[in-house]
Amino acid sequence: MVDYVIETIDLSKKYSNDFVVNSVNMHVEKGKIYGLLGKNGAGKTTTMCMLLNLTYPSDGEIFLFGKNAKIHSKEIYPKIGSIIETPGFYENLTAYENLKIISKLRGRYNPQNIRSVLEMVGLSDAKSKKFKDFSLGMKQRLGIAASIMHNPELLILDEPINGLDPFGIKEIRTLLKRLAHEFGITILISSHILSEIENIADVIGFMDNGVLIEEISKDDLHKRLNKFVEFEVSDVNLAIDIFKRMELKENDDFSFNKNSISGFIRLYTHLDLRDKFNAIFVKAGIDVKKVNLCEENLEEFFTRFVSNN
Amino acid sequence: MLTFIKMEFLKLKRSKIFLLSLIGAILPPLLMFIAVTSFDEGQSFEMLFANVNMYMSAMFAVLIFAIIISYLFGREYNEHTLKTMLTIPISRGKFLLSKYLMFLVWIVILTIATSLSTLILGFAANLDGFGIKMVVDSFAELLYANVLLFLTFSPFVFVSLLITNMVPAMIGGAGLALVNLMVYGQNWAPFVPWVCPYLIASGEISQYTANISLSYVIILATFAIGLVISYVYFKKTDVTI
Repeated sequence: MVDYVIETIDLSKKYSNDFVVNSVNMHVEKGKIYGLLGKNGAGKTTTMCMLLNLTYPSDGEIFLFGKNAKIHSKEIYPKIGSIIETPGFYENLTAYENLKIISKLRGRYNPQNIRSVLEMVGLSDAKSKKFKDFSLGMKQRLGIAASIMHNPELLILDEPINGLDPFGIKEIRTLLKRLAHEFGITILISSHILSEIENIADVIGFMDNGVLIEEISKDDLHKRLNKFVEFEVSDVNLAIDIFKRMELKENDDFSFNKNSISGFIRLYTHLDLRDKFNAIFVKAGIDVKKVNLCEENLEEFFTRFVSNN
Repeated sequence: MLTFIKMEFLKLKRSKIFLLSLIGAILPPLLMFIAVTSFDEGQSFEMLFANVNMYMSAMFAVLIFAIIISYLFGREYNEHTLKTMLTIPISRGKFLLSKYLMFLVWIVILTIATSLSTLILGFAANLDGFGIKMVVDSFAELLYANVLLFLTFSPFVFVSLLITNMVPAMIGGAGLALVNLMVYGQNWAPFVPWVCPYLIASGEISQYTANISLSYVIILATFAIGLVISYVYFKKTDVTI
């Protein structure tokens, strides 16, 4: 039997008559990084807020560490670290003082622990700087420090790399991967940066309009990414005519992208016949500048997946 | 709960509002000092303390307390720290209680600041009639009035949870201070929750026909109503992100 750290059953949130989250059945396995992917307003933050008991569900149930979160909240929530959108800290206090408040209230105050976690996220030089003087990236790092300071078993991170520079993103990515794969911490992470989710997650949940459309493991995802042949041609209209005469259907079998006459045409089916198509194009007087065999990226897959659903 | 209070204190480190509230608390003694030294010669320590207590608890405190309440609760929303605190996790009831207690401690500090500055300024003005018992009694009177006033501010907690901006609190506090001025001396003053604390503490309530018990009931009812609605609202409402 699979050991789920997060499991929701028909989790829903309704404001007046609108469902912001609609019957979400999420399954996050122990030790995995689960990436929650969706457009703005898809319901990712609301789902995470419900998991953290900040927002009350209109319907459905939440099980964390296999226990009903409503009944066993006192036992469950100390095992969770989180960041929801921009981390909130007291602006008049330093990084150290902010972490001191949190750790004291958790009943786990240890100055050495605070110093090492600040070092881990690259804030050891800024421990005496007031939070209001922090850059967005530094705020985000402090949020991560606060969320991992108590050695949680589950991390719920909503857009944790927002505002980080490329080096910061890389560092945090490495840190999160280490936490998951070396220390067995389960991570639920949301991001609008699709490549980041693709880079870090073991399982990806696709959300749109409050609905969790599908949960796909990274291996399955690669099997399902469309492969296509892309021709760069001198006359896209003529190339389309040729495809249509061969009974290929627009959007299903091919798509195009043109700038004036020339442009790109993508073939999704009959990939093994690409040499033959190339020869037909040339015979019809079309200059074929490039022929590439490509794989759809996560962004393209996500767009196609959401529009199909 | 002691840790909660200590952490509430830490949250006030370098806080301008805390300093401003202290300035607010020493403003009535300062104004009385100016009045005494400029045009009202022949006043005693007792008169100075009595006047300071009246202006503080019937007027200045109302405005200052409204601002403190709004800051204590509103900042958790405005600085987005409420989500950080509640996911520690801290129970919503405990969080609310720690804020109420911090408010009470803050009031005690302000009361000490007011009484201490009155004493110092009394000496600076060379007033007659100094006596330790008189000072202790005056301090106790102001403390009692302010603690009763604290009880009447629970509806402000609800307003602060509803509107996290400090401007409505400032307007409300100023408005209430004006109402207190208008009501003071009227027959029905003992029935107004924000005036009767001073009337009870100073003993002035005996000059009114109203029963003192009724004033206590009004204060306690205001406290209970404010406490219940703020607790229910805070407990039931989603945290805005």
